[in-house]
Amino acid sequence: MVVFVCEDSFEGILCGVYDAWTSRLGHKNVKLAVDGQYDLEMFADYRDTAVSEEKAQKVALAVRTKISEHAYAWIYRASLSFEPQKADCIYRFLIFGFHIGAEVIRALQIPAVQEVFRLNRSVGNESHLLTEFLRFSELPQKLLLAVIGPKNDVTALLMPHFSDRLRGERFIIFDEKREKAAVHRSGTEWYMMTGAEAARLHELARQTDSSEYAVLWKAFFDSVGIQERTNYVCQRGHLPLRFRPYMTEFQQGGRSRSDAVNDDGVMTG
Amino acid sequence: MLIQENLSIEEKLRILTDGAKYDVACTSSGVGRAGKDGSLGNSRIDGLCHSFAPDGRCISLLKILYTNQCIHDCRYCINRRSNDTVRTAFTPEEVCRLTMEFYRRNYIEGLFLSSGILDTPDYTMEQLYRTLYLLRREYHFNGYIHVKAIPGADPALIERVGFLADRMSVNLELPTAEGLKKLAPGKTREKILRPMRQIQIGIARQMEREGLLERKGAVLPDAVKKALGTAGTALAPGAPEPPRPRVLQGRSIYGNYGLGRVSNRKEYFVPAGQSTQMIVGATPESDYHMITVAEALYQNFGLKRVFYSAFVRVNEDSQLPDLPGGPPLLREHRLYQADWLLRYYGFTASELLSEARPNFNVFLDPKCDWALQNLGQFPVEVNRASYAMLLRVPGIGTKSAMRIVAARKQAALRFEDLKKIGVVLKRALYFITCSGRMMYPIRMSEDSIAARLIGEERRKSLDLEQSGLYRQMSMFDDFHMERA
Repeated sequence: MVVFVCEDSFEGILCGVYDAWTSRLGHKNVKLAVDGQYDLEMFADYRDTAVSEEKAQKVALAVRTKISEHAYAWIYRASLSFEPQKADCIYRFLIFGFHIGAEVIRALQIPAVQEVFRLNRSVGNESHLLTEFLRFSELPQKLLLAVIGPKNDVTALLMPHFSDRLRGERFIIFDEKREKAAVHRSGTEWYMMTGAEAARLHELARQTDSSEYAVLWKAFFDSVGIQERTNYVCQRGHLPLRFRPYMTEFQQGGRSRSDAVNDDGVMTG
Repeated sequence: MLIQENLSIEEKLRILTDGAKYDVACTSSGVGRAGKDGSLGNSRIDGLCHSFAPDGRCISLLKILYTNQCIHDCRYCINRRSNDTVRTAFTPEEVCRLTMEFYRRNYIEGLFLSSGILDTPDYTMEQLYRTLYLLRREYHFNGYIHVKAIPGADPALIERVGFLADRMSVNLELPTAEGLKKLAPGKTREKILRPMRQIQIGIARQMEREGLLERKGAVLPDAVKKALGTAGTALAPGAPEPPRPRVLQGRSIYGNYGLGRVSNRKEYFVPAGQSTQMIVGATPESDYHMITVAEALYQNFGLKRVFYSAFVRVNEDSQLPDLPGGPPLLREHRLYQADWLLRYYGFTASELLSEARPNFNVFLDPKCDWALQNLGQFPVEVNRASYAMLLRVPGIGTKSAMRIVAARKQAALRFEDLKKIGVVLKRALYFITCSGRMMYPIRMSEDSIAARLIGEERRKSLDLEQSGLYRQMSMFDDFHMERA
């Protein structure tokens, strides 16, 4: 068994696919793993894959022309998943993809297709939920800042939605777990920010929304529920607890992420 | 009446949210519109829910009343004239500012503006119009707006409001004219249905202009055809009209009364369609009555949605029913389930219930209940059954039915595959076969399947309360009385 270790990014995984495929060792004898997220196996040979624009481009082009744009979107979203086996899933999916063609995304009876379907769906679902649950707060410098802590790396997926919607606004969506941010200035253009520059945003995130509207929103939220119908289980089913520390209506006072929700999931305050 | 003049905006917001919260509709779906330079906002065709209140209902729109002053004295309503509560009103500017600032922070998807009747319906509608005009034209808000049409208001005003809003609704309140007379003395059935028809004709006319009537499969009743002047469809003369309603993948049976995706360059009249709501449990109507009314509304008035609102006793009134067990939430839930069966699954009201069986089963959802009553049609072969038949299997929804239809072209599906596809096997397994086999041997009798679906424990209480529902009693059968 030869394990190709690739970087945790879409390009990295595509390069891993390229190297594993062109190694001509046979699909059964190769495996893909994401750097830093795998367990060492005995009797396996580990090879690092170098990331290169050219290899990634080749694989991307092949997927888009020989399978479909739809399948390309699937593997892109699957690559953003937090699950460590995603690289291998994508590889197994592409084996069937190049064999069947565009119809592969309908062939849900194949386990390899099911896996990528599942990854794609869970990443898509989380990014959809965040378009709903993400909250901006306005900083004194007329800048909107949203802090998120998603399971999957969905920041880039959120941007087309928000940059279309908030065209005239300057805003930043900051993933505090991955220290990654997406910045929008005006129009529909936006860019990603990573590394030390993005880490500095922790500082900014500690500032609170000085405006009265957070207070008004809480007032609205408090009075819109019907007392006689109280149903916390239903609320929890629709709005999982992990999103709440980031949401204005569940925060008390400043931006305190730990005590917004108490142990049994009943919101306080 | 206690009218407070100098309340802070927070107090006003609390009071006017309190007054609006019993309105159910909080959907932001039905219209897809891209953002526009110089404006704030866009609209997603599938809608977004931005939060969930402690009662589990979604908060999608800023749901407020313009004012809670009202000339009516509807017995079920918290804002009735004779209630001694603090009355106040927003100014149009306040509504606009709240909407814009909440929207920027991604708290809401848009505005849901309703109102008590201040002085006259015309005056109230005019205030709503002024607010929407300000919001769209001065504040350049391009998000979702849902607004109530006030029954009795001038049709010209409703028309003008319709061009600023995305969705409009007129509340039917109660399913029968008698109930309305009893509980809402100021309102009549005709007064409520008139604006509904007007909005329907407006939408249909516009769909005709855009050439969408045929594509969206809208069912046109005669009154609308007459108003449109032409035959009402884009069909070539002489061509037979396709049978309606039709079961199409993922589409509403009654067609789609609305524009769906719209451009920013044109003005549209109520592009997201209209909706209404009925109160459940305030008057003695049965479930059968409720869904028959809902079905008629979908067929004749081209509504997008009918909402059901479990009656909450907010006023003390001898005409109102006493509800010691709280609002009839389960009944409301069953009605919503049936509503989906009507719109997306090709069921008719008379299939689900009848005069003889006027209420839904407490223990089983309407679809399981129907399947048990019609066991003769099951089991169905997953690899061969039509889409319409798959939809009738409990545990298979529109999404999994569509996935099955797509996947079975490539290979015969097995039970393991169905599970991955999203079929709820614990319900479906009694009603399907894969390549001619059931998942495991099952006795095809109503009684045994019902027992398994409900679970033994709840089965016991079912036996106590509704014995004989699934089985004819006979002196010579062994009923396993010791087990039950």
